[in-house]
Amino acid sequence: MIRFNWRSFDWLLLVAILMLSIYGVVMINSAVQGDPELTNYPQRQIFYIVAGLVLMFAVAAFDYKFLSFLTEPFYLLVILLLGLVGVLGNRIFGAQSWIDVFGLFPIQPSELAKVALALAMGKYLAYHLDQMDRLRTVLIALLIMLPLLVMVFLEPDLGGAIVLAVEGVFILIAAGLRVQHMVLGVVAGLGLFPFFWGLLQEHQRTRLLIFINPTADPDSYFNVNQALISVGSGGLLGKGYGQGTQSQLHFLRVRHTDFIFSVIAEELGFVGAVGLLLLLFFVLMRLWRIADRARDPFGSFIVVAIAGIVLFQTVVNVGMNMALVPVTGLPLPFVSYGGNAMLSIMMLVGLAESVAMHHRKIEF
Amino acid sequence: MSSRLPDLSTRLLVLRLSTVVIFLALVTQLAVLQFSRGRQYQERALFNRTRVVQTEGARGVIYDSQGRFLARNRALFAVALVPADLPDDPDFAVSLQKRRALYRALLDVLQQAMAEYSPPPTPAPEGLPSFYEVGQSRPPGPSILSLEEIESLVNQRELGSAYQPVLVAENLPREVALRVEEERYRLPGVEVVVITRREYFSGSDIAHIVGYMGPIPQENITTYVERGYPADAWVGLAGLELTYEQTLRGRPGRKVIEVDVNGRERAVIGQEVPPRPGRNLILSIDLDLQKAMRQALEGGIRPLRSHSAVAVAMDPRNGHILGMVSLPTYDNNIFADGVTPEEYREIAEAPGFPLINHAISGIYPPGSTFKLVTASAALQEKVITPKTILNAPGIIYLPNRNFPDNPNLAQPFVCWIYKSGGQHGDINVVYAIAESCDIFFYKVGGGWPVAEFEGLGVETLAYYANLFGFGNLTGIDLPAENPGLVPNTRWKRLAKGEKWVTGDTYNMAIGQGDVLATPLQVTLMTAAVANNGFLYKPEVVAAITDDRGNVIEERGPQLIRELPIDPKWLDVVREGMWLAVNWEGGTAKDIWDPDLRIAGKTGTAEFFDPEIIRDRRGNLPTHAWFTAFAPYEDPEIVVTVFVYNGGEGSLVAAPIAHKILQAYFDIKARRAEAANPAAGDDTPVEETP
Repeated sequence: MIRFNWRSFDWLLLVAILMLSIYGVVMINSAVQGDPELTNYPQRQIFYIVAGLVLMFAVAAFDYKFLSFLTEPFYLLVILLLGLVGVLGNRIFGAQSWIDVFGLFPIQPSELAKVALALAMGKYLAYHLDQMDRLRTVLIALLIMLPLLVMVFLEPDLGGAIVLAVEGVFILIAAGLRVQHMVLGVVAGLGLFPFFWGLLQEHQRTRLLIFINPTADPDSYFNVNQALISVGSGGLLGKGYGQGTQSQLHFLRVRHTDFIFSVIAEELGFVGAVGLLLLLFFVLMRLWRIADRARDPFGSFIVVAIAGIVLFQTVVNVGMNMALVPVTGLPLPFVSYGGNAMLSIMMLVGLAESVAMHHRKIEF
Repeated sequence: MSSRLPDLSTRLLVLRLSTVVIFLALVTQLAVLQFSRGRQYQERALFNRTRVVQTEGARGVIYDSQGRFLARNRALFAVALVPADLPDDPDFAVSLQKRRALYRALLDVLQQAMAEYSPPPTPAPEGLPSFYEVGQSRPPGPSILSLEEIESLVNQRELGSAYQPVLVAENLPREVALRVEEERYRLPGVEVVVITRREYFSGSDIAHIVGYMGPIPQENITTYVERGYPADAWVGLAGLELTYEQTLRGRPGRKVIEVDVNGRERAVIGQEVPPRPGRNLILSIDLDLQKAMRQALEGGIRPLRSHSAVAVAMDPRNGHILGMVSLPTYDNNIFADGVTPEEYREIAEAPGFPLINHAISGIYPPGSTFKLVTASAALQEKVITPKTILNAPGIIYLPNRNFPDNPNLAQPFVCWIYKSGGQHGDINVVYAIAESCDIFFYKVGGGWPVAEFEGLGVETLAYYANLFGFGNLTGIDLPAENPGLVPNTRWKRLAKGEKWVTGDTYNMAIGQGDVLATPLQVTLMTAAVANNGFLYKPEVVAAITDDRGNVIEERGPQLIRELPIDPKWLDVVREGMWLAVNWEGGTAKDIWDPDLRIAGKTGTAEFFDPEIIRDRRGNLPTHAWFTAFAPYEDPEIVVTVFVYNGGEGSLVAAPIAHKILQAYFDIKARRAEAANPAAGDDTPVEETP
């Protein structure tokens, strides 16, 4: 039964997300100036935000409890879609979104895989919480993750695969992963590494190597260097909106997506960048709160997975802009330009809102 | 199950705290970058966006002595595509489509503009190209690439340097280029490029003097780059363009600009240091005389016999070159727009080697013109006096050194007149010059043991030849000069491994044997005789001016040396030259002209060329020489004419020199009249071109 409980809807989370999204549109507008090919990107981003909000409310309207019943078919569907992309997509349409071609909204199967993983792993661990001291439970949880991980990696979407792995680890930690299992996992991972390495193809190895050592790739080295100069030359208040020399003279590449944080730090300075980080921090705090107040572990785990994704992408993207972590194509949640990322993150927030609306009853 | 929830809350607290720590770390790094290292990054951002660019000033212009353009700059308009700025799309097919649409739009604009543009009528060429000119240039018409050519060029370039423009249309009329510029707002990646090239007026008439420009030769790139040239610059490669490269180029300016990541200029920052335009050259050459010299030369030689010929005119009072023609010639405008290596080879290797200025780079036996040196030396060294009379039969037999009494071993030496059965008889130096008596000069040069007459000897003769400028570079301000050769004992031993004999001195005394000289050196010799013994450095550039026309440097006479010869002996030599033209027995009597007061010396120099067969009597082929000055009393012009394989100097070279002298004095009179019309009422005023 669908019961709307809008009083429990986390409106503050929504407000924070809207502020982040609008911040994003404003900065994308600055980033695409002087680039005739990209002039309508701010408008397109607004369209994606609106579409994302619709999707968010639609997902939020579902009691996540019903999703629990749909977990297995949904999991299989995502596997099937990933397989189709692997077989057809690569050959005919390129790696991107073949679903887009059929006129559906542009969500890649790899984004749906995040939802599938949260549901499947969350459901399994919620049922086996009392068996977390057994290695078997952890291994089965990992086996649930493995097919999704492998297929997304083969799509090829290395960033997506890493996000999935991190998402899984967050759920396991929330479920009470034992320290000895964690150590075992790290040791086993290191031990099996040469074996995996042997399985990889040459170009996949190259991609991993560049991920670990970006200076090997002159292009990403250049980009990180320019990002550092952009951020560093911003100062306290920045060079002014639309006045960043690094972004306006295009020294900063992929300004509207990967390096939007550098544009903010350069043009609006420390104040603007910290403001952005505070908004993201607030969003995360609201998500942890929802996870804490969920009525059951399944709901909790779903939100932990979502918060994990948001946290990880934020750290990786902002860290990449400040040369703390290697360069990957991971967007800054809610801020970077991109329909797929926007719809995906809005869908995940919708899921979190669904959990929020059906929270544990706390007596007022 | 709910009993587990407090555990979950604890773990969530850990995750919350981790979030706090992570965000604190991010903010810390942000603060480090923006505050601690802020200055450093601000400097790098400044360095990123600013460039110092060098701007070239306009190259200097070259004028003739009357201020007419010989070389000028011409703007060439071209349209280029910058691959990095072309429309792009992650999808290759879409990207290709967008670009094709752009190419089509550009080609439409170009074609429409070309259709609307009506070119000015091209002047009809002046007569047919001469036998002595190769590679006539046509002004290059507009060239526009096709869509397929553009596509393949852009694709090639994109792999390498995507910011380097690809030329898609060249040599466009200004109007067409402006149209493209107007439409550029809707043609991303399209740029209008202005290239400056040289335009040479009267190209082939004066190509050897003016020269031409081209891309820096591969082997010299480092040298030029060290001097501040961009590696793709054009520099002078021949003629004055080469000698005066530094003068013509001027000083580049510099400005600081703001650039985007592609290096494209967005704004100029601060004060711009403007470039200083190159200096202009004003030549001592009068184009009218130059053209007349070429006409006289072309009209006076037989094309199928002589593959090359030279005429040089110089002012003996200061060494200024008044005209210098070397045939065959070429049109240097060919090089102004660039030539392919094949085209270059075709021109360079054509018969007579058109690119070579034979007046300064060609070395030939000077023949009887050299007798001026022998005569001057003999008078100064008191080997003879003007009154010395030597017997000159048509043929003499030089006794063998080791067996002087055996007539069978004696070596015969003939005079040119002996071929027609004549002889000069008893003769003094003045008439020996006028009649070009070989026997007289054999004896003066090498002595005559039969009469125990002591000659100059090889070393003294060589010494005087060097004084007159033979065997040395004259130092003219043109490239690729050849010093020629004055042989002596040592030279023969080293070069041929043979001993010098009296016969060699005989040959040398009449400018044969191993003596080799450029027509310019012969001109210098005559000038020194004409001006009482001053050897001036020849110069083509008379003055250098700045871009406003102010004279920066005026080139006066530059004395190489004053010859240690008493002027009274040079008087004697000049008298011989006067009689050569103005006495019925002189070798050049056919060009006698009561108005011009010419004095000259003919030369018919034998040479050995395996490709040219001897005549019926087995005589070697001969170059025709004539070197003269005028007016006799107060010389103001020296003319030397050389015709390769021309035959008799008196029959071939002298008439050409006569025509040149006529032209010189005609032009001079015309200019005087134009300057002062009242003085010449009685003659109709001619139009000055």
